[in-house]
Amino acid sequence: MKKLTYVGNSDVKQVDALEKVLGRAKYIADMQIAGMLHAKVLRSPLPHARIKGLDVSPALEIVGVKAVITCADFVNNGSWGWPIQDAYILAYHKVRYVGDPIAVVAAETLQAAEAAVKAIRFELEPLPVVSDPREALSANAPLIPEESPTGKGNLCNQHIVRNGDVDAVFSQSDLIIEGEIEFQHQEHAYIETEGSLAIPEPDGSLTIFANDQSPFINRGNIAQVLGLQPEMVRVIQPPVGGSFGGKDDINYQNSSQVAKLALITGQPVKLVLTREESMVASYKREAMRVNLKISAKKDGRLQAVKAHLLADSGAYSSMTPLSSWRATMHAGGAYRYETAHVDTDSVYTNNGYCGAFRGFGNNQATGAIEVLIDELAEKFNMDPIDFRLRNVLRAGDRAFTGNSLKHEPNVARCLEWVREKSNWDQKRAEYAAQPDKAEIRRGLGVACYFHGSGLGGEGLDYAISLLKIEEDDSITLQSGLTDYGQGSRTVFSIIAAETMDCDINRIQMLRPDTHTAEDCGPTVASRASIVGGNATRVAAEKIRQMLNLAASSYFDCDPAQIHRVGEDFVGPQEELASFTTITKHARQMGFQLSARGYWQIPHIEWDFDKGTGVPYFTYSYGAQVADIEVNRLTGKVKVIKIWAIHDGGQIIYPKGAKGQMLGGIAQGLGYALTEGFSYENCIPQKLNFDRYTIPTSIDMPEVEIAFLDAELPEGPYGAKNIAEPTMISTPPAIANAVYQACGVRTRQFPIPVELLKMK
Amino acid sequence: MQIEFVLNGKQTSLDVPGEMKLLDCLREVLGLTGTKSGCEIGQCGACSVLIDHKLERSCLILMRNVANREITTIEGIHGPDGGPNDLQEAFLKYGAVQCGFCTPGMVIAAEALLHQNLNPTREDIKSALSKNLCRCSGYHQIFDAIEETATNRRNQKS
Repeated sequence: MKKLTYVGNSDVKQVDALEKVLGRAKYIADMQIAGMLHAKVLRSPLPHARIKGLDVSPALEIVGVKAVITCADFVNNGSWGWPIQDAYILAYHKVRYVGDPIAVVAAETLQAAEAAVKAIRFELEPLPVVSDPREALSANAPLIPEESPTGKGNLCNQHIVRNGDVDAVFSQSDLIIEGEIEFQHQEHAYIETEGSLAIPEPDGSLTIFANDQSPFINRGNIAQVLGLQPEMVRVIQPPVGGSFGGKDDINYQNSSQVAKLALITGQPVKLVLTREESMVASYKREAMRVNLKISAKKDGRLQAVKAHLLADSGAYSSMTPLSSWRATMHAGGAYRYETAHVDTDSVYTNNGYCGAFRGFGNNQATGAIEVLIDELAEKFNMDPIDFRLRNVLRAGDRAFTGNSLKHEPNVARCLEWVREKSNWDQKRAEYAAQPDKAEIRRGLGVACYFHGSGLGGEGLDYAISLLKIEEDDSITLQSGLTDYGQGSRTVFSIIAAETMDCDINRIQMLRPDTHTAEDCGPTVASRASIVGGNATRVAAEKIRQMLNLAASSYFDCDPAQIHRVGEDFVGPQEELASFTTITKHARQMGFQLSARGYWQIPHIEWDFDKGTGVPYFTYSYGAQVADIEVNRLTGKVKVIKIWAIHDGGQIIYPKGAKGQMLGGIAQGLGYALTEGFSYENCIPQKLNFDRYTIPTSIDMPEVEIAFLDAELPEGPYGAKNIAEPTMISTPPAIANAVYQACGVRTRQFPIPVELLKMK
Repeated sequence: MQIEFVLNGKQTSLDVPGEMKLLDCLREVLGLTGTKSGCEIGQCGACSVLIDHKLERSCLILMRNVANREITTIEGIHGPDGGPNDLQEAFLKYGAVQCGFCTPGMVIAAEALLHQNLNPTREDIKSALSKNLCRCSGYHQIFDAIEETATNRRNQKS
């Protein structure tokens, strides 16, 4: 194989970082257009109420106000939502959570819009609320959705795994352990809040700039609720200030609102949420209760796992039906069992609403199983890493979901790496010998994971990339997959340059634009590198072949006789022709120097009704060790160091991969210790960064990271996924370290400080 | 009220309400959108600017309090040719930029630190950035970029 120039080269920089460090990148909030109006949203102060009266006319009397919209302004009252259509662009008949949007004003100034929102007259008749997901299914619980999607009250959806007869195996097990682990909601807390800008075009069409993740889904929703052909709506994605799964559904709602206001007023309309609005109105990671029962034989080998997951979807289903599926598919962890049985219920409550967030359900699944596995190791008086090594998936094994693994599961190698690098054996022994009464206690904990690649059984998983050599020999690259900071624009540019053997500086990655890109499905599930990367590779290979053909004509030789030195083409007599010489010759030959690359993840099938099948075509793996100290007087946990290794296949963009790992660890740290987005009686308690505390520079521990030397044959240059799985084993590793430090097994995430204070 | 101040090295005079926030003045009146708004309560640091070389949150500063002071925003930080300066180059080199929304504030906070301490320890750097939130990076690549810039600036001085 030829030596790689750009792939895996740690000198390659992010392709769009320059404009960001200079402060020149224009995010939604930075965009100003002549005649632009400002939008402001009236939101529900109550978690559940019937809208008895709504009169927007006083708002229209305020100077500068151009339009006010309600649900009545949309087709079918703005009914939308996927996979369950249970939401409205603006509240219809009733509000279901604090922050539910009721009406939107467009005005010449933000001040006028704010005044107008205050002037809207509305009457809400409070309805009983459901806050505890366990009570959502009781017979006397008030129904939150308009109609139950399952026919069973607030039950939103169910997923199952059926792999053998667990109860029969439990009855013959030597040791059984059970536990319930509870996870609070988590807020994405991207530093840029949600924003959309709609520009009406003279022909009645619309151009929307939105900081969303999936512009084609946004376009489809806008077209649907406005009654337009999708081609009449153009969605463009400017630079996005962080997303982590969080800027889809909320932005589709916002975008449809400003789109309607732009059509009514004939003026551009911009809506940017304040931090408080973002925190109150945007969707969260589902709170979840995970009940686990695991059994093992005397020799420490796992036998059966039975799990029940209860996910709090809040007022709307959003992506919970899919993220709860991913949780279900990971509930047993990266271990070998004889049999497994999982039941997952998602329920409606009035606690905000929940959807996609980095990890997409695997955070709770892995968080729970890794705490229980640690506990089980202790019952056997075995070292936590030894116990895991005895049970983790190996070549030839089946996952707990029953599917055999197509590729080598690398989790054991990851565990061995963290054991060696963290000096595990020695440190564990040292910490075990600490005096019981010490005020500051150290602990070392481990967790490992697997994470299914791509959408899996959620849907068809493909992408299309477009490549074109322009007249000036710059190369434009276009994908419908988006970059919200995770680096996919750089990854695609690297793959294109590597495959065509051209200078990476020739490549201009265009912004995602539904008019010029092709629909690639959503940019979720850490799928961009594998799917979009392969589509880019396919397009680039086509161009490479075309140029080779042109070069063979230029040198009058067989194409097989051409080789490349850098960008240059070398003929059979070692004669050189530059890249531009060959592109010029190719054009003279009549070649169209553009290509479309399509790639689809190998087909797999999960039978949702039977709970059997193949959920993912492959998995990525990893492990982390956390070294922590607990202050027994305050209960505070300080994470001193984390060792983390991830099997992401061949790393395409090392600076970016490192950033993903570090950023994932930081989000896992927050999820473990401080970030519970709590609701009290359905009222959100933390609405800005003063109360919702995400890790700061001071909280971030020392970190030693590595990527496993491994390749996925189907991946572009052997690459796999990275972004999501990097955060999921941080919380259980910390929890397990806390246990070594002070003997307290947490059953809650974030880990409650009170629990860790010396009694 | 008429307010005189130095903005990115230029003497500036503006007639704006004294109660206007500096952040709004920069973004809405002057069109300097490199300074970002992230929380409006002084918690996230996206709106960081330098006032008389010190780190300040422009969402907490009223225009009447900037009279006769020297303000530097991200637009005032660049190399002699308008491209990146050494610190910004180091941000690129170390992969310290992901989504980029906190980046202007981070660059400003780093310049404030380096103005008063060209020999910062890792702990000094952490403290100097402790009021600037980043949700993407986990901070380490930003620390690396600042560390290297400090070393280089020290070497240039000696």
